Amino acid sequence: MPDIYTPDLMEVVNVRKQTPDVKSVRIQFQNKARASQFDFRVGQFGIFSAFGSGESTFNICSSSNWKDSLEFCFRKVGRVTEALWRVEEGDTIGFRGPYGNGYPVEKWEGKNLIFLGGGIAMPPIRCAVWYALENREKYGNITVVYGARTVADLVYVDELAEWAKRDRVRVIQCVDPGGQTSDWKGEVGFVPTVFERAKVAAENSVALVIGPPIMIKNTLPVLEKLGMGPDSIYTSLENRMKCGVGKCGRCNAGPVYVCKEGPVFTMEQLQKLPQDY
Amino acid sequence: MSEIISKAGLRELAKEWIAQGKVVAGPVQTKPGLVMYAKLASADEIVWEGFVRPANSVKEFVFPRHELLCTYKMEGNRVELANDGAEIPAQILLAVRPCDAAAFPILDHVFNWDCRDELYNRRREATTVIALACESHDESCFCTSVGLSPQAERGSDVMLFDLGEEYEVRSLTDKGRALFAGKAQPSERTAPTYMGPDPRFNPEQVKQFVDGQFTSPYWQEATLACLGCGACAYNCPTCHCFDIVDEGNSQHGKRVRNWDSCQFGQFTLHASGHNPRPDQGSRQRQRVLHKFSIYPEKFGEILCTGCGNCTRNCPEGQGMLTLLTGIEHA
Repeated sequence: MPDIYTPDLMEVVNVRKQTPDVKSVRIQFQNKARASQFDFRVGQFGIFSAFGSGESTFNICSSSNWKDSLEFCFRKVGRVTEALWRVEEGDTIGFRGPYGNGYPVEKWEGKNLIFLGGGIAMPPIRCAVWYALENREKYGNITVVYGARTVADLVYVDELAEWAKRDRVRVIQCVDPGGQTSDWKGEVGFVPTVFERAKVAAENSVALVIGPPIMIKNTLPVLEKLGMGPDSIYTSLENRMKCGVGKCGRCNAGPVYVCKEGPVFTMEQLQKLPQDY
Repeated sequence: MSEIISKAGLRELAKEWIAQGKVVAGPVQTKPGLVMYAKLASADEIVWEGFVRPANSVKEFVFPRHELLCTYKMEGNRVELANDGAEIPAQILLAVRPCDAAAFPILDHVFNWDCRDELYNRRREATTVIALACESHDESCFCTSVGLSPQAERGSDVMLFDLGEEYEVRSLTDKGRALFAGKAQPSERTAPTYMGPDPRFNPEQVKQFVDGQFTSPYWQEATLACLGCGACAYNCPTCHCFDIVDEGNSQHGKRVRNWDSCQFGQFTLHASGHNPRPDQGSRQRQRVLHKFSIYPEKFGEILCTGCGNCTRNCPEGQGMLTLLTGIEHA
């Protein structure tokens, strides 16, 4: 019987340790017919599982243009992520998805893109950056401001360096005060202040802000000062989910099921929702 | 023209259904003073009168508290998955209260919008609901506040009304007619109307309050006694939140879904430690919000049938009714 809760079986094709407690895992459908049908939008999420330990929800952090595999990235914090941490190339894990709305990348065409991320929020920004770089002619200037607690906590550092080499791309990395090393070349400070210091021109721009609530809260006034309206600032909510398909009753923020109508919202939409996220 | 069946005749009919291999469930006295919906081993077990309503809800026959999603088996680094292909036997829910029957069409929305939940639907389709109209209510009952009544037909395939020695039989669907075809006799007798409890609150006013007063101190103050035990949700005919977990080891096991409740602290706890609903006030508010605002906005119906089980099962004697009637004075 086909059912919406039975996952696809995926083969692990690559595991990378990004930081002492963050790994990224690339997976492929074992069922080749399923692989050829599969499509998703950047910004959508999946429900990934280690059999015996359970399921957990992560953004699909690869670009939707990469057809041979998909990738997710997680921090080891609980039962499921401890089990996923032990996964090696060739192992089998479960995947359900894609779920959620994804980023409105068509609407963003012709605009400058400002990406502001904190900590483990890089993966959901990374997929959008690669998507924009692969459709470079459709987007204006790309600015990435990415901060982590310490130098050792930055993820996808090789890719940050790769993006910085591209045309019309500016990448600013920062670490919290005290998190720098003696050879640290990036900025020291929190994302909102570092972004403000960078004096990014914000006309005709959209911003994607993802990170801890405190980072988002302090970044919004900076964007506002630059003249950005709440309809041009996007974020991705992280409400806890189980089913992913609007049934289990867990992820709602006020009247909105985050798994169906989100996880991507504009600040304008969030301002109308009760503080339930 | 309505139909009647003698009480003895209905008991015989239930025996026939059980003999045919159908699952028949109804109110059973599981221990002194406690009536619960349960599967009948024999038709004589059913309790027809002398109580207001069972302590649990009948939803578990369509949405079990623990349900297999799939099994997994590991061979080296390969995994094999298998679904539960077991046939769901036809089941008859007998002498169900109208407030339980009405929950099924309400639940149908969430398990069918956007994508179909086959696990729910296969049980739902195998089920025939024979409701017995209420003739009494207690201080926890409030069906008339949410648009239902002791004689509401919503969600029933057949409605029975107590006429003393007989039941009036009103077959409402083809499924229901099939069960009673040739078993009930035409009759002129119909049951008198029973009005049930007076309305206790206005659901529209509840919606306005929970939508507009999300941060009101009322939610904290009115729920200080709440223990967060979840008994209100587990015994509610319409609460349907669930969790998905693995049971087993790294070699073999099963993925299951279990009932869950918005009253539990871990329900919305993020991996980061952040919890959007950190206290019982916000969790009880969520229960009201879901039932009286979110669900009506999405599916056009209140996610509550007024059965009062949340209050009857609450160790603090609270429940929905306490919270909802209090809104008027908040």
